[in-house]
Amino acid sequence: MRRRIWNVVRMEWTGIATTPSSPLFLVVVPLLLVGQALLLAWIVPRFVSPAILGTAGGDAGTLRLLILRQFPFFVLLIPAMVANVFATLGIVEEKVSRTLEPLLATPVRTWELLVGKILSGALPALAVAWLSAGLFVGVGYALGWGALLRTCLTPAFFLSIFLLMPAVSLLSFIIGVIGSSRARDAKEAQNLAVLVVFPIFALIALQVTGLVEFTPVRTLLLSLAFVAADAILLRAAVRLFGRESIVTRWK
Amino acid sequence: MEARTALSAHGLSKRFGERVAVDGLTFAVGAAEIVGLLGPNGAGKTTTLRMLAGIVAPTSGSATVVGGDPAVEPERVHESIGFLTESPGFYERLTAERNLAYFAAFYDGVDAAAAARRELERMGLANRARDKVGTFSKGMKQRLALARVLLHAPRILFLDEPTAGLDPEAARDLRKLIVSLRKEGAAVLLSTHNLTEAEELCDRIAVIRTQLVAVDTARALRERQFERRLRVRLAAGAEECLAALRSEAFVRDARKEGDDLLSVLLVDPDQDRPRLVARVVATGGQILEVREDERSLEDAYLNLVEEP
Repeated sequence: MRRRIWNVVRMEWTGIATTPSSPLFLVVVPLLLVGQALLLAWIVPRFVSPAILGTAGGDAGTLRLLILRQFPFFVLLIPAMVANVFATLGIVEEKVSRTLEPLLATPVRTWELLVGKILSGALPALAVAWLSAGLFVGVGYALGWGALLRTCLTPAFFLSIFLLMPAVSLLSFIIGVIGSSRARDAKEAQNLAVLVVFPIFALIALQVTGLVEFTPVRTLLLSLAFVAADAILLRAAVRLFGRESIVTRWK
Repeated sequence: MEARTALSAHGLSKRFGERVAVDGLTFAVGAAEIVGLLGPNGAGKTTTLRMLAGIVAPTSGSATVVGGDPAVEPERVHESIGFLTESPGFYERLTAERNLAYFAAFYDGVDAAAAARRELERMGLANRARDKVGTFSKGMKQRLALARVLLHAPRILFLDEPTAGLDPEAARDLRKLIVSLRKEGAAVLLSTHNLTEAEELCDRIAVIRTQLVAVDTARALRERQFERRLRVRLAAGAEECLAALRSEAFVRDARKEGDDLLSVLLVDPDQDRPRLVARVVATGGQILEVREDERSLEDAYLNLVEEP
């Protein structure tokens, strides 16, 4: 079981490694997001008029802190964007290259194939997201924002990075793979890919609007809810993977 | 058919919406037997192979493949079968060796790297093992596809148009390979449009057109469709011989088809042939030639699949 999943993962990674744009994408997207967050945290407080800040009852430090606190949620976009590219093409590429039918004639089970596809994208995406979080904190400290960052590095932050993020990443990849297995071609898969960022945008909206304060307990509960959603959607993904229609209707 | 049954289908049917692709197919393939599936395009050959390989579920009916039901326990069946698909695809950016090792690693107890090397060697592709599959010709890809289905030494092979796209030499080599696999004990069910190939390779031939039209040896299919008439060319004495033959019990029918040519239908074309010759000679006929009317498998096939 694990051997077959690992076989799929290794094959997917070999495919990523032999496609020059894929590793590049894995590096560029996180750098852009981290760079954008750092730039915003650095530049916005410098150029917003102190009078305006005073009217709002804050100062430049408060504004910077506000921006820094959004980062754990924006970093969730990294796995989502990676899923958008890799997961949504996972099954469609097999269809296009006509490798799916020979694959389905091997003893690999549908769920093993799908889990392999999901993990092959989710694991590097998570690794890159964690590295990005480390880079963000490191550069923040280097820029002299240590005091502000210490107020951000709360238990809720670590829970969101190490529990919520993996759960949400898996969800994005599962949605992506479902879209890929239902799509008839790469274009349709890419159109369906927009679905993978919905869970992330929902979280960002909750955070940015201030409707929900992400305390450690709430973050933990939310993470567990996403884990449950992962399990349910994975089962749905296996059921929705119509091997027969994929093989017979794909031309 | 061999005594041991490698696979059997019982009333196997498949509908795609309103369209009936396969209707009530019942047949069996013995161990170490090669059975050819012949039929026009859209006759249900590929669907039949897919159902037996556990890729497509039958709408009704059942099948037993190496002791398992492919619709119920496909993974178990997949351990023992090899399925050469109609359009075998590969990961074209990866090497031939990597492609094969990937597929081999799904089977229990198979050393993936060793199996990949072994099959590349067998298919004459060892020198291209490290080349990307995208650089391969169609024929090479077809050989690589066959290598892929042999990685785990399957007991049953489902081959969908195995020699399609191959040059004559490669096709001949592949046919030799299929025969050697039968000698090793593998059962083979192959779909083909190549009637010469079917006749050369197959122990039996199943003709389908959605339903099973006939299943038998190529010779039996021919004989079932056409009478085995003998042509007797004589230097002289045709009229006397014709009259003599018509009085014999072992002659079902005799007629003259020219000044010196008799067409004779015997009760048993194999056993009665010497008696025919003896009777003609005894009547004073001078035989120049005795030959059987050759009807090809193509004639029999076309007769079978012709719309009623």
